[in-house]
Amino acid sequence: MQDAITALINSSDVQGRYLDNAGLERLRSYFQSGEMRAKSAIAISANASSLVTQAVAKSLMYTDITAPGGNMYTCRRYAACIRDLDYFLRYATYAMLAGDPSILDERILNGLRETYNSLGVPIGATIRSVQAMKDVASDLIGTDAGKELGVYFDYICAGLS
Amino acid sequence: MSIITQAITSADREARYLNVEELNSIRDFYEGGQNRLRIAAVLSTHERQIVQKGSQTFWERCPVTPSNSGNRTFQASCMRDQGWYVRLVTYAIVVGDIEPIEKSGIKGAKEMYISLGVPLRNLVECMRCLKEAALDLLSLDDVDEVAPYFDYIIQGMKP
Repeated sequence: MQDAITALINSSDVQGRYLDNAGLERLRSYFQSGEMRAKSAIAISANASSLVTQAVAKSLMYTDITAPGGNMYTCRRYAACIRDLDYFLRYATYAMLAGDPSILDERILNGLRETYNSLGVPIGATIRSVQAMKDVASDLIGTDAGKELGVYFDYICAGLS
Repeated sequence: MSIITQAITSADREARYLNVEELNSIRDFYEGGQNRLRIAAVLSTHERQIVQKGSQTFWERCPVTPSNSGNRTFQASCMRDQGWYVRLVTYAIVVGDIEPIEKSGIKGAKEMYISLGVPLRNLVECMRCLKEAALDLLSLDDVDEVAPYFDYIIQGMKP
């Protein structure tokens, strides 16, 4: 995986250049927003399971998907769904700390759409639940931090669709 | 690897969130970020000066060396490589880790310079001179931040 710093260094090094001004400016604001990132990570890790519960309640619970014949029907599938949402939340939190989405590609998105398709997991509903998680997480950590975290939830959605 | 990537990788291995100690050290790292960017900027804006001064001292101390033999290509390559090492040091300062130096400047370096006919003893001396020239520009606190990276290069090139 990369973070905001190593990503910039790697791309500068292959060109044999010093970190350029635009890159330095990005790093400056990344460091400046560090406290916000660290605080959000603490809040999220303390409330992870409740965030997942809220997101499911908001997006999936009362739809056909949990009824007989739906893809979340039977506890086994329900459990798989909340496990995956738990992963998404944890990796989005990692990515926010790193300020870089590469870990999402490496650990979540590679092959995920194909896996979901072959298991019959509906992509549309998955995206709705990720968006719901973005909202409930934002309520917890505040608008600014929520916006930053949202970047990585959106990245997951884009990778799925 | 930055301390951030390190902590995330080890948390991920155990499928957990980062713990308080890890987050606290990341916080310190974020906090020192502006300062590290400032130090790196001092070195990058003075690269030419550092390399010129380093080369002069080097040729005074090691007059018999390919880059001081009158061969212009050797001389230019020597100075170009010194500039590269200054650049790698600025990367390392910003990320707070030796990895960029190790990856692009140490692995295979000895073998390469031996095959190019550069005496390693002189190379080490050259890096010492480069270090001195760079540290001359810095305050005492900044020296503490920068010196270890040059020492790492010197150590990595010892015959």
